[in-house]
Amino acid sequence: MFRKITDFSIKRPKLILTIAALMVVLTLSQFYKVKMDTDPENMLPHTAPVRVAHEAMKIEFALYDMIVVGVVNNKHPEGVFNVKSLGAIYNITEEIKKLDGVIAEEIISPSTKDNVEQAGIGAVHFNWLMPEPPKTEEEALHIRSEAEDNPMFKGLLVSEDGKAMAIYVPIRQKDISYEVTLEIKKIVERYKGDEEFHYTGLPVANDQFGTEMFKQMAISAPLAGLVIFILMWVFFKSIELIIAPMLVAMVTVIVTMGLLIGFGFPVHIMSSMIPIFLMPISVLDSIHIMSEFYDRYPDFNDKGKTISFVMKELFTPMLYTSLTSAVGFFSLSFSPIPPVQVFGVFVAFGVMLAWVLTITFIPAYIMVVNFGKFERSRLKNQEEGAFILNKVLHWLKVASIKHAKMVFAATILLVVVSGYGISHIQVNDNPVRWFNKDHSIRVADRVLNEHFAGTYGAYLVVEAKDKTAEAFIHPEMLTYVEGLQESMMASGLVGKTTSLADMVKKVYYELLGGDRINNVIPETKAAIAQSIISLENSHKPDDLWHLTTPDYSKVNIWLQLKSGDNKDMSKVVEYVEDYMATHPAPMEISHQWAGLTYINVVWQHNMVTGMIKNFLGSWIIVLFMMLFLFKSPVKALISMIPLTVTILVIYATLGFIGKDYDMPVAILSALTLGLSIDFAIHFIERSVEIYKEKQDWQATADEMFKGPGRAIIRNALVVSIGFLPLLAAPLVPYNTVGFFMFAIMAVSGLATLLLLPAVLATWPDLLLKLDSSAGCNKGHCMLTWSFVAVVAAYLLLGYTNVGLQTVIYVVIGILVASVPLCYLSANRKGCA
Amino acid sequence: MNKIRRIAVIAISFVLIGGGALFAEGLTANEIINKANLASYYAGKDGKSDVRMTITDSQGRERVREFRILRLNIKDGGDQKFYVYFTEPADVAKMVFMVWKHPGQDDDRWLYLPALDLVKRIAASDKRSSFIGSHFVYEDVSGRGTNEDDHQLVGSEGNLHKIKNTPKDSKGVEFAYYYVWIDKANFIPMKAEYYDGQGKLIRVVEALEVKDIEGIPTVTKSHAKNFLRGGETTIDFLGIDYNVGLDESVFAERYLRRAPAKWVQ
Repeated sequence: MFRKITDFSIKRPKLILTIAALMVVLTLSQFYKVKMDTDPENMLPHTAPVRVAHEAMKIEFALYDMIVVGVVNNKHPEGVFNVKSLGAIYNITEEIKKLDGVIAEEIISPSTKDNVEQAGIGAVHFNWLMPEPPKTEEEALHIRSEAEDNPMFKGLLVSEDGKAMAIYVPIRQKDISYEVTLEIKKIVERYKGDEEFHYTGLPVANDQFGTEMFKQMAISAPLAGLVIFILMWVFFKSIELIIAPMLVAMVTVIVTMGLLIGFGFPVHIMSSMIPIFLMPISVLDSIHIMSEFYDRYPDFNDKGKTISFVMKELFTPMLYTSLTSAVGFFSLSFSPIPPVQVFGVFVAFGVMLAWVLTITFIPAYIMVVNFGKFERSRLKNQEEGAFILNKVLHWLKVASIKHAKMVFAATILLVVVSGYGISHIQVNDNPVRWFNKDHSIRVADRVLNEHFAGTYGAYLVVEAKDKTAEAFIHPEMLTYVEGLQESMMASGLVGKTTSLADMVKKVYYELLGGDRINNVIPETKAAIAQSIISLENSHKPDDLWHLTTPDYSKVNIWLQLKSGDNKDMSKVVEYVEDYMATHPAPMEISHQWAGLTYINVVWQHNMVTGMIKNFLGSWIIVLFMMLFLFKSPVKALISMIPLTVTILVIYATLGFIGKDYDMPVAILSALTLGLSIDFAIHFIERSVEIYKEKQDWQATADEMFKGPGRAIIRNALVVSIGFLPLLAAPLVPYNTVGFFMFAIMAVSGLATLLLLPAVLATWPDLLLKLDSSAGCNKGHCMLTWSFVAVVAAYLLLGYTNVGLQTVIYVVIGILVASVPLCYLSANRKGCA
Repeated sequence: MNKIRRIAVIAISFVLIGGGALFAEGLTANEIINKANLASYYAGKDGKSDVRMTITDSQGRERVREFRILRLNIKDGGDQKFYVYFTEPADVAKMVFMVWKHPGQDDDRWLYLPALDLVKRIAASDKRSSFIGSHFVYEDVSGRGTNEDDHQLVGSEGNLHKIKNTPKDSKGVEFAYYYVWIDKANFIPMKAEYYDGQGKLIRVVEALEVKDIEGIPTVTKSHAKNFLRGGETTIDFLGIDYNVGLDESVFAERYLRRAPAKWVQ
């Protein structure tokens, strides 16, 4: 049926081109609706329990997302603690207060925070840390000593080395942080002297990422397109010819993105990468056509006949390579992460669209365009360019066929080494690390985390079961909180923790005369209550309610981490959970983690477990598709070898070079699966076809290392080199895509051209012999049933709560049942 | 005769009403403020009241504090002494807060924390900090020095004078200016609105209920709302009594630890 579509396209090329143009215009008109979403929090649905809890605690404890403005002065011996720098900080704070979207009341700055200090003998003083800019250097230094003396400020407001300061600017919504940061930068320009200013905080990173991601979408994808274009020109030396794949890629990208936007989906970090994924996939099939067309044209000397012949030859492999890629991506729609679902579905759609375009648009295009130049250029090319390619092919042929055993041995060794490498993969992510090392965000992150206790925030909310007990002003409960904080610090990954216990201790020892001996939790509940009420006489009594609730039934422990790496946050959580398990609280409690750093941990955990599950599922689906395509379980298994080796090698490389398994890597597993199978499909399909003609495996192998082999190498080169420019992009996920494209193409190309010919040479019958229908071969029949058993095991383990033992029984049951079934089936009359 | 009497009554009424109005019109902003200061903070020679303070935060969570407040005028419009004795919540019962108010200079403030067995002087260079976590600041409770602002009579709204007050020194003050509405008859300030430098309303303090107590117009319910912090505080004054015969010796440091039973029971 589909073959007829191709024939139709050859007959009515103009109609096809018009339809394509119409689709582009229609979808392009949707682009104005584009909405961006750069919030990693949206990796979880709004209804995810951790997000609901996080939102609730933000309201309950009046917490906001913050932009961190770090002020460092490397020129003055006392750092920022000099008249000029503090004056600048004062004025900047005053101006920031006026900005739209800033919660002025909650800004953390020396001039907006109250301090308890000794004021002569027997008196305490509640005063702003910096009520006005200092007039003398002594006053400036006094501000430092007061700030350093307040455990609430040290490491937060004033750096641990006493040289730098930070202003924390709370904002109404995260998505304005980029604009607010720009406004703050303008203010800073007006007042700054010798100081350096750094801007960080997760909201800034997220928002900045969105801005840059938009740029990259406009730069990287077209740049990759350009390089692919140049490479194709090197191979085919005909602009007219190579414009076709480029057009297919462009139409695919525009229509897919247009639909995504048109359906009202925001362009998320994930979906912004759709163009870059669709680009290689959509040119792949066209390159096969072009490559064959280019090689076959002299045999026919007629465009129509050549393209018709080529399309017939390539139709089945192209359909299956597209289907496998689409399935790989579609499997992402089962992941628990909404943006990944959207990404998966739309890329899968794009892949199939590219296929439809390839079988309609390409023939139509070839019919319409005048190839005068093409004929001349191809003669010239035959002499030079193909020479190197042929040499490589020859080398591959010798290696695989003459030294098949070596190839197998090397493969086994590689798989073993890869297993070791994979065991070293670190699952980790950190949105700030999505920027390159020298990006201003990363620099700020480094500098500020050197000076301060940590710019990554997380919260642990502890709640007493008994709401009426005023639990957390009981000394034993506050002491328990203190113990929790100590356990956090003992993890070695937390720079600072702040809780009600710290606040109470501070005011208590100041009331008792400022002697640090009294930096302890008061002995009675009344003493704690009275310390707290004393503190409420400050300018900012509500600061208390960031750390507890007015009924004292809950406390909020604020953790500052120097690293936003998920693995570090996970370790802290593990550490504290262990502590809680071994140290029961004096009253019954429950607890809940929150904060952006923690939310990242949750979605990443979902992502990793979800992705591994999807990945295995897709592997099995692809296996079944191969079974369907080749009608032989043996061939299906063989076709999976290069793909499996490729995946093992790529992930082992990640393990060896210490690249974290992060979100982009997880997504790329789908791409790896979809693309790595392609070459094997082409190889096996074509060898079977050729063998039908030649009836000799040697001759088949010779033929395979001509046209089809050349197409595979051309493809591998075009795509792998085409994506190398991504390695220079300032966003790490783009680098990762570049690396993966290169690795997928290089490794799966090599694996296909070495391993499959080696199989061909060693056991030609396995690949080439026409199978009697699977039902008539007992062995094949039982192998097929064992696939079924694997699927059953996967489904039961992955999607039900059935135990391992039951699963094993099911698998054994299927295998045992297959014996009589296959015996009967193979002995029925229809089988020879 | 009747006619003459009627004319006379009208004439007298005119003088009383019209003349009264003329008289008020004749007052300067400073005079109004001084009268308001006396009416709101210096009524009687002394006074005592039980106070119930309800603090509601921006999330609607309520906390209640109860205390007895004793006040003695040393000089009308001048020095005063306050003794605040806490009764609720139980954990802060017997806590005492004492102020010797010296208009024009820093007050003396003491805090007695029974659970810490501690009497502490609190330096009070700044009177704009919160009064025990409520939306009232110290100056709302003990009065803002009348000399600290420039006063300007900006209008009359019904039976209220509207006066704009601009601090002479903006240092340590969170507002740029404030309006106060003062009752023309009894000079009780009925409302004050505080604005920041951008003209944004940041805080409102209001008298919700004024009663005649022992012949003295007295605010019995008061309310403060802070738009920056969010939330509000309501104060109910109960059992107000004037001229109870308070002795200056009650307001001594030694009475902080051992509250004078006569006055706090």
